[in-house]
Amino acid sequence: MQFEPVVLFFLLGVFAGLVRSDLKIPGSIYDALSIFLLLAIGLQGGVKLAEFPLSELILPSLAILFVGSLIPLVCFPVLRYLGRMTRADSASISAHYGSVSVVTFSVGVALLAQEDIDFEGFMIVFLVLLEMPALVIGVMLARYGAGTVRWGKLFQEVFFGKSILLLAGGLVIGFVAGPEGIKPLDILFFDLFKGILALFLLEMGLVAASRITGLRDYGLFLTSFAIITPLLSAVVGTILGWALGLSVGGTMLLATLYASASYIAAPAAMRIAVPQANPALSIGASLGITFPFNIFVGIPIYFWMSQFIHSLGA
Amino acid sequence: MSAKPMTLLVIVTEAVLEDILIDEITELGAHGYTIVDGRGRGTHGTRSGRWTQGGNIRIEVIGNAQLCERIVDRLKTAYEHNYGLLMYTAPVELQN
Repeated sequence: MQFEPVVLFFLLGVFAGLVRSDLKIPGSIYDALSIFLLLAIGLQGGVKLAEFPLSELILPSLAILFVGSLIPLVCFPVLRYLGRMTRADSASISAHYGSVSVVTFSVGVALLAQEDIDFEGFMIVFLVLLEMPALVIGVMLARYGAGTVRWGKLFQEVFFGKSILLLAGGLVIGFVAGPEGIKPLDILFFDLFKGILALFLLEMGLVAASRITGLRDYGLFLTSFAIITPLLSAVVGTILGWALGLSVGGTMLLATLYASASYIAAPAAMRIAVPQANPALSIGASLGITFPFNIFVGIPIYFWMSQFIHSLGA
Repeated sequence: MSAKPMTLLVIVTEAVLEDILIDEITELGAHGYTIVDGRGRGTHGTRSGRWTQGGNIRIEVIGNAQLCERIVDRLKTAYEHNYGLLMYTAPVELQN
């Protein structure tokens, strides 16, 4: 199985957190790292996007968005009735799992780069698109009995929050500049990508450590949910990617997108729109369980699944 | 020197509420406020301040007693139930 060494930095962060080391990445550095990652991923996609005719993107985009929107709709009844969780918690967790994780995606991209496998640049477009619908669906699922929803604030958070803004902005800049125009920025945004990702994962490990220690409180149901959901979503993503004619790399990234759960955009949006939901449950599951599961076990499995389904077709 | 007696209202709450509370406070008539980032522990658990959204903020407003009362009433009814929220007032003397 393929293994991307950069994830070891996450383990180092978790270890530092568990032994209560004084290691702390200052908030402003964390902010800078996340700005870099979002821009780099956006630019990378934009440059590759320039190679594709955009009109061919519409149909796959609709299919990928439609299937992606089904994830929270399937998660909700499972959490609500099988897991006997409150409506607000079920809706909030569904939104987390329907939305996507940029860092999980980045680890997938890093693994593909290590294996020297190319992927379609428009995958980044889906990364941007898939972040939004689940959050809106989550709020709609929760809103019964929840009182008024601050839709304005929510939409502002979702559409103009820094993650979408920087991803989409990088995408446009990369697209406009093209491979030649972006050359002077290569050293910063492409060559340093893995190093910055490593630092970011170190910080994520520190944060995840505080969630992992609370793991016992989440119960067996939520723990199983946080592992089974990404696997099933990835199977759906693999089949859809293959059916849409994506390459091995693209199929693997689509599986990774469906499998990933948000822990930055979704918590902020849900805290505002669904305040009754307990953030410890949703962030604990997505960051404490699903994220480490995906980067250590999931992504190598999704890579294998993608290779497998393409070998069947050949 | 003519010190003016005023009321200091301190609100400790979740960082995610910052924009919303600023709107509320301004609408209720506050002329200004000061916000600092923080971290701490309370009945809503530890807020480490590690993530931008995972921290606390402390908002300080100085105004007359009625203004502070209006803000406290408003925040109590709208946010106390679902968010970590701590408010206290103290008499202060404004020096300038």
